[in-house]
Amino acid sequence: MYSLFPGKHGFTLEAWRAFVHSSVYLSLFWKSVKMSLIVSAVVVALAYPVAYYLALSGTKRKYVLLLVLIAPFLTSYLLRVLAWKVILGDQGVLNTFLFWTGLRSHDHPISQLLYSRFAVMLVLAYVWVPFVALPIFVALESLDRRLLEAASDLGASRRQAFVRVTLPLSMPGVVAGFLFVFIPTLGEFITPSLVGGTSGYMYGNQIVDLFGTGFPDWETGSVLAIFLLGVVAALTLVFARFSQIRDVAAS
Amino acid sequence: MDVALSKTGSRVLKVFFALVVVFLYAPIAILIVFSFNNSDLPTFPLSGFTLRWYHQFIANGDLRNALETSAIVAAISSVCAVVLGVLASIALVRRRFRGKAAVSALLLSPLVIPYVVFGVSLLLLFHRLGIPRSMLTVVIGHIVITLPYTILVLVPRLQQIDVSLEEAAYDLGAGPMTTFRAVTLPLILPAVFSALLIAFTTSFDEYAVASFVVGPRTTFPIFLYSALRFPSQLPQVIAVAVVVIVISLIVVIAAEVGRRIAERRLGAPVL
Repeated sequence: MYSLFPGKHGFTLEAWRAFVHSSVYLSLFWKSVKMSLIVSAVVVALAYPVAYYLALSGTKRKYVLLLVLIAPFLTSYLLRVLAWKVILGDQGVLNTFLFWTGLRSHDHPISQLLYSRFAVMLVLAYVWVPFVALPIFVALESLDRRLLEAASDLGASRRQAFVRVTLPLSMPGVVAGFLFVFIPTLGEFITPSLVGGTSGYMYGNQIVDLFGTGFPDWETGSVLAIFLLGVVAALTLVFARFSQIRDVAAS
Repeated sequence: MDVALSKTGSRVLKVFFALVVVFLYAPIAILIVFSFNNSDLPTFPLSGFTLRWYHQFIANGDLRNALETSAIVAAISSVCAVVLGVLASIALVRRRFRGKAAVSALLLSPLVIPYVVFGVSLLLLFHRLGIPRSMLTVVIGHIVITLPYTILVLVPRLQQIDVSLEEAAYDLGAGPMTTFRAVTLPLILPAVFSALLIAFTTSFDEYAVASFVVGPRTTFPIFLYSALRFPSQLPQVIAVAVVVIVISLIVVIAAEVGRRIAERRLGAPVL
């Protein structure tokens, strides 16, 4: 609301006009969208085989293994980011391990590990993998195995059965998982501020900084936040429609 | 023949699963190792065993205060969120009313709104209302973001309970309060505990929203975040990290085991 009624000046759309015409904020937004898309895709790609293994390999201890997988997600977020800060620094665990074992000389650490876009995406992927495995697991778990048997009886190979039966039926889980990462990552500011440096700076950091103590600009900050909210709401609505169509198609 | 996986496929996936688990736990293992390392910097080679960092953090008054603040905030906000969650869930599962879908969407919407947006809007709201930032504002923020989690846990459990049990209580002359206390509450108790636990741990760990509305008494995540900027405090922070991570892993596992036992005893299907 602040963006529409900026205090003493009365109603104005000035802050919105400035936002739409600013190349800085919009390009930062696109950069964050790209980073979040990559992170979400990587996370889904990692989580899908893991969920597939748990749901369909017939292992007896699948719920125990699921708990093992999810448990890290339920521990402190900040501390898991801290762990990577300790690992990735120029004089961090990984680099000093390489010096120590002689795999790299002291003068040539692998730089760009910490305080980079790569670090932000690595840490975000690390943080979200367990959580995304969950909706995919649920989707695969509720899959009727007789459908696969039918496909096999009709002469489909395992690969064909996967592409034509399993994958389409698990899509709601995949899309849900994708959004579970994409939405929070798009507004993320903690991870980039801890491991991102300047090149890993994201849209969320910009919002925080506009409300910070440096050069506060609450109007612009509110516009940025409302814009983010609008994008997220639109995505959620599209997904809700998509999953309803799925439900209808399934029944 | 297994229709979902070939033998080789199953083996490959097993290895992949193991690698992902290693990826997830290796950073935690590294923190544990370096929390006992006798050096000011977490670097290789290891330089001997010490409990120095643990002693230091136990002696650190600011840290203890922050932990205490977070414990209070988490306790109050989780109890409030669960009470509201129980009331909302009963309304959603047992009652019919107009606009139910909209109410349900509104209650769950915090799940899909980035925390930075919440932080900003709460900050503006409190600013407009003239409420100074304090522990209370953090508690309010945490109730808002944990409420949907409690509903997500409670609604499925309420749906499992046979309505005829409650109807029987009404027929036998029990009022709504008695029915809730004697029939509904005992049946949803395991879910209430899970909800409480989720709300508590979420609040205890929450940085994003708290960073906007925190007052002079800092919570544990706020303290941690600022401590991360001082390299001299790093080993101590690693020691704290290990304690917090290990405790939360134990609690998570104990809670899950407990929930399974409880729900099996109550004769309900365990999810």
